[in-house]
Amino acid sequence: MRYSATLIDHFLNPRNAGLMREPDAVGQGEYEGCGDLARFFLRVRDGQATEVRFQAYGCGPTIAAASVASELMAGRAVGDLLDVKAHEIEGALDGLPEDRRHAADVVAQALHAAARDWHQREDHRV
Amino acid sequence: MSRRVYLDHNASTPVHPDVVVEMLPFFAERFGNPSSVHAFGREARDSVDQSRERIAGFLGVAPAEIVFTSGGTESDNLAVRGLALAGRRGHLITSRIEHHAVLRTCQALEAEGFALTYLPVDQYGMVDPDDVKRAIRPDTIAISIMHANSEIGTVQPVAAIGAIAREHGIPFHVDAVQTFGKIPMDVADLAIDVMSFSSHKIYGPKGVGGLYIRRGTRMVAIQHGGEHERRRRAGTENVPGIVGFGRAAELRAREMHSEAERVRGLRDRLGLGIQARLDEVRLTGHPVERLPGTANVAFRHVESESIVLGLDLKGVAVSAGSACTSGQVEPSHVLAAVGLDLPWAMGAVRFSLGRSTTAEDVDYVIECVETVVAKLRRLLPTTTT
Repeated sequence: MRYSATLIDHFLNPRNAGLMREPDAVGQGEYEGCGDLARFFLRVRDGQATEVRFQAYGCGPTIAAASVASELMAGRAVGDLLDVKAHEIEGALDGLPEDRRHAADVVAQALHAAARDWHQREDHRV
Repeated sequence: MSRRVYLDHNASTPVHPDVVVEMLPFFAERFGNPSSVHAFGREARDSVDQSRERIAGFLGVAPAEIVFTSGGTESDNLAVRGLALAGRRGHLITSRIEHHAVLRTCQALEAEGFALTYLPVDQYGMVDPDDVKRAIRPDTIAISIMHANSEIGTVQPVAAIGAIAREHGIPFHVDAVQTFGKIPMDVADLAIDVMSFSSHKIYGPKGVGGLYIRRGTRMVAIQHGGEHERRRRAGTENVPGIVGFGRAAELRAREMHSEAERVRGLRDRLGLGIQARLDEVRLTGHPVERLPGTANVAFRHVESESIVLGLDLKGVAVSAGSACTSGQVEPSHVLAAVGLDLPWAMGAVRFSLGRSTTAEDVDYVIECVETVVAKLRRLLPTTTT
């Protein structure tokens, strides 16, 4: 198997998958090369992402990367999500094959977009 | 993982136990070089010739018209390039859905100055013989059309194309790697001049294939370094492989007809079963003129690699129709040629059944496909709130 046991586990049992009702922020990442897509929903309390959910289309690694990121990001300050790096997500999956690194990129992009969305909504509220 | 189901027979097949038994003495006991004049060599030569006779008998042709190669890819290279070089310069006709062994060879010839016509196919992947006729030019030196496509299974109207080629005196090559030993064929009826076939698609060993070259067909050897295979293919023969190939062909002659009917029934059970369980599913390839064991199923808005991975984790081996390499999607050239839209082509999965496939296997695969695809679809991005 070219994928780690952690990746397979997240692919088979995705955590926090599905739509979130009335999220405080939404962000999407897409990889044009192959059409892989991840969308994240955040529930935010006192500036922290208390709940993170996702939807995804793509290869197994993209689904697994979104799943592992949803666990990894829960409890973090939304501002920190702007700085999430793809290699952190890849590390949480115990690695990705060279030709599947884009899975972590798509997910990092989606998290950045969700964090930006929250900041924009905050600015709007102020 | 309790159950394992192999539905990737168009990629390769398990070697038949009788074939293994026949091959074994040729590794350590009867290991001679068929070109050697001593007893060891003569023994190997006799065995190669016996396999040649078996395969010729299976095809109903003369043994001298069979050349052994290292497999389907080499056979296609030798056929297309060998015919082109025999014509020195000129024009070749092929189709857009050929195996890359033919397409890449044609592209290489194009770069070397030959003219090429790549014929389109219809929505079922079928070449129109009238298109072949219209494409013929005064300088056309060869026509190469596959017998059946490995991805979607469509069987081409080879007899009609062969008749056109013969009428115009143009050598006709057929890549029969996916049909040899699977469906009956008569090279004389089909007016075939050169035909490629492979061993490991018919329960023989890998690393050995063959080429039928009709007596009198002008071809140039592309591999040099010996007088083997009547100077048509230099290189010491793969004796164990050839022996196994001969036995595999002999077994196919016995089993092919009944197996084709049985496998066709299972294939249809699979296709109908999946369509009954899931929405937005489409069968590609020709509805009737199709390889008995091939079902290419497209699942809209699901990525085929994730289906293949999901099925693999349930013990089911199938192939993805489109490949994502380094983040770049390469929809199969075959699915693109039949005009399948990207949201469908991205979710195309090939199921190819074989002699060991059972109804229980098929029912298990239907269950697995339903579970995997439904789960992946639940993950799909929907409208946001």
